Amino acid sequence: MDAVEKANTERQQRWVKDQKVGEGTYAVVYRGREASTGRKVAIKKIKVGQFKDGLDMSAIREVKYLRELRHQNVIELLDVFSSKTNLNLVLEFLESELEVIIKDRNLVFLPADIKSWMAMMFRGLEFCHRNFVLHRDLKPNNLLIASDGQLKIADFGLARDFADPGYKMTCQVITRWYRPPELLYGSRYYSSAVDIWSVGCIFAELMLRIPYLPGESDMDQLKTIFRALGTPTEDDWPGHTKLPDYVPVGSFPKTPLRDLFTAASADALNLLNKCFIYEPRKRISARDALHHPYFFALPYPTHPSKLPKCTTQLSARPLEEMDGNVQMNSTGPGVKANNNRLKRKLSSPLDEGKGRSIARRLDFTKISPGT
Amino acid sequence: MSLDSKPISSDKKPLYEASTQFINWRYSVEQLARIRASLNEAAVSAIRHTFESDEPGSSSNVLFLNSVEEQLLVKLYITKITQLCALFRFPEEVEATAVTYLKRFYLKNTVMDWHPKNVMLTALFLATKTTNNPISLETYTTHIPKTVASDILDLEFLVAQSLGFEFAVWHAHRALWGIWLDIQNLPDNSSSVSPDIYDSALKHVRASRLTDAELIYTPSQIAFAAMALAAPELASAWSHLKIAPKDSELLFPSFQDLTDAIKALIISDGQPPNIESVREVDRRLRLCKNPEKVPGTKAYLAKKAEEEKKAEGRRNKKAAISQQAMTDGDPFGNDLSKAQSALVDYDDDDDDD
Repeated sequence: MDAVEKANTERQQRWVKDQKVGEGTYAVVYRGREASTGRKVAIKKIKVGQFKDGLDMSAIREVKYLRELRHQNVIELLDVFSSKTNLNLVLEFLESELEVIIKDRNLVFLPADIKSWMAMMFRGLEFCHRNFVLHRDLKPNNLLIASDGQLKIADFGLARDFADPGYKMTCQVITRWYRPPELLYGSRYYSSAVDIWSVGCIFAELMLRIPYLPGESDMDQLKTIFRALGTPTEDDWPGHTKLPDYVPVGSFPKTPLRDLFTAASADALNLLNKCFIYEPRKRISARDALHHPYFFALPYPTHPSKLPKCTTQLSARPLEEMDGNVQMNSTGPGVKANNNRLKRKLSSPLDEGKGRSIARRLDFTKISPGT
Repeated sequence: MSLDSKPISSDKKPLYEASTQFINWRYSVEQLARIRASLNEAAVSAIRHTFESDEPGSSSNVLFLNSVEEQLLVKLYITKITQLCALFRFPEEVEATAVTYLKRFYLKNTVMDWHPKNVMLTALFLATKTTNNPISLETYTTHIPKTVASDILDLEFLVAQSLGFEFAVWHAHRALWGIWLDIQNLPDNSSSVSPDIYDSALKHVRASRLTDAELIYTPSQIAFAAMALAAPELASAWSHLKIAPKDSELLFPSFQDLTDAIKALIISDGQPPNIESVREVDRRLRLCKNPEKVPGTKAYLAKKAEEEKKAEGRRNKKAAISQQAMTDGDPFGNDLSKAQSALVDYDDDDDDD
């Protein structure tokens, strides 16, 4: 046997799959453990054999970035190995996810709890951005919670490096409810500010306990945003009417956040406002957010181990992120689920359909910077 | 993004030093020679053994490749990556990444086991994906003569494994771009910097891809050496601005030596190999490559049969276990110790797709 294959087999034998905990079209997740120590892990098995183009993009992105990023608030990729036609990612085992906690009606959130989650979220995100990685799919069910209460940013299947100035990126990213207006208007040049908008939406959701801006379609998403935050003027956001998919969607007045977030502190609302600044260049950065007075004012953040925890164990984490990223004909978030509630799902068949052909056209005509 | 050109006086660890490239893919010149020699030695002895078991005495006339000859062949296929990237008009990032993958692959494998032609094609296809420039496999293979999808897919896992699934690569051309941006901001020479300087430095960076430089030095060191080759005075002005005076005394002699070493490497090794000598190596490779990897040969068939036998053994064992579970077990499952042993059957995990 080749040395490389042998090394792969040895890696494989370090990990034991115990129980299937979730299944999607392209991946199965197992709960497992490290054979030598018994440490609990999650093993995500991606069935590569089904892709005609070999290893698929979301698996490659996830492996590429998680291999490099080591941070308390980013999920840890412990190992990667292949078995026959499958790729296996060994991830640290995480008990719960923020979405489940938000929905658990038995739990009461104190302002200090929310502050703690926000601090961990911004720390993880600041680390990604410092490493020039855009996450592009932040939402409560991609924020996992460890048994010690630490919040971990997960699912890097849509992540990418910052593009150089002048290089286009696809705007078909981020689950709709968490998608910033510049992407809804088709901006192809964007920045870490897109992730900050998502964090703002999550911040609001932690306070409201329901999604803050649940649009039913891309068009309705813009309306929902403007109804909540006011239609941007040319002063608020210079040049936005020139964006590729700009459409006027009506003029709504700005209502103060205070009207909806009645219990929030002034600092909290100030930070929230800064996450929702329409002009992306003025939106607060993760780094500046960490220095915002909100985090230094009383009450101080709850210690992670003391945060509200789920009353029910997370048994089967849905694998919708895999479906959403790779399915050619995925139905998207506008589809109502059986219970007539909107599902959080990535709306666009990113890169595989429209996105990919655009990307290809780009790559083939672009010349390297400086020439 | 001049990631590498941070002032060295900063007390925070540079981002580069947390990268898998910094941690796992840096070698000394001696280490590289040792790794390649031992891979070569192991391959020669294994292939010799295969020849002998097929027909005793048959290996005595075979002239196996040595590690230098192997490198010559790899170098030729690096130049093929450049040609293919021009054909497909891939961005520089794709080309540089594919070249890195090819070099790293042959720090874990030898050309006698895996011919660089197919490895190169797979490395390039993988690089299009890891740099976020994907194209369909169909488009890819139809533009490359005598290549089918399976040529690429069959090796994709092997290449990815050999890379340790570490796909992110830090490149010298990015560092050069950072230095170039900095240089245009140098005091005193605002208007006099000709774009030709960048083009010339970039040519040196590209030449460095034909060398071992990236396995020995950091991207910024290579970029700086390339700039020093293109415009020595500008490079030195830039370095004086970047390195604080208090550090410079400490650093300068070794910094100068380092730069000189990289410059010398680029000048001496940075050209495509002589086609005639590579052709000779490739001709010999046809006679000494591992027959276990050549479909149709006796050794190949023997290896396949052996693998099939093993797999059948595992299947039988598994069938026996489930059979036993049906006959003697509690219908709700065996006791824990038996269940445990079944869980460590690694073939299991592929049955559910």
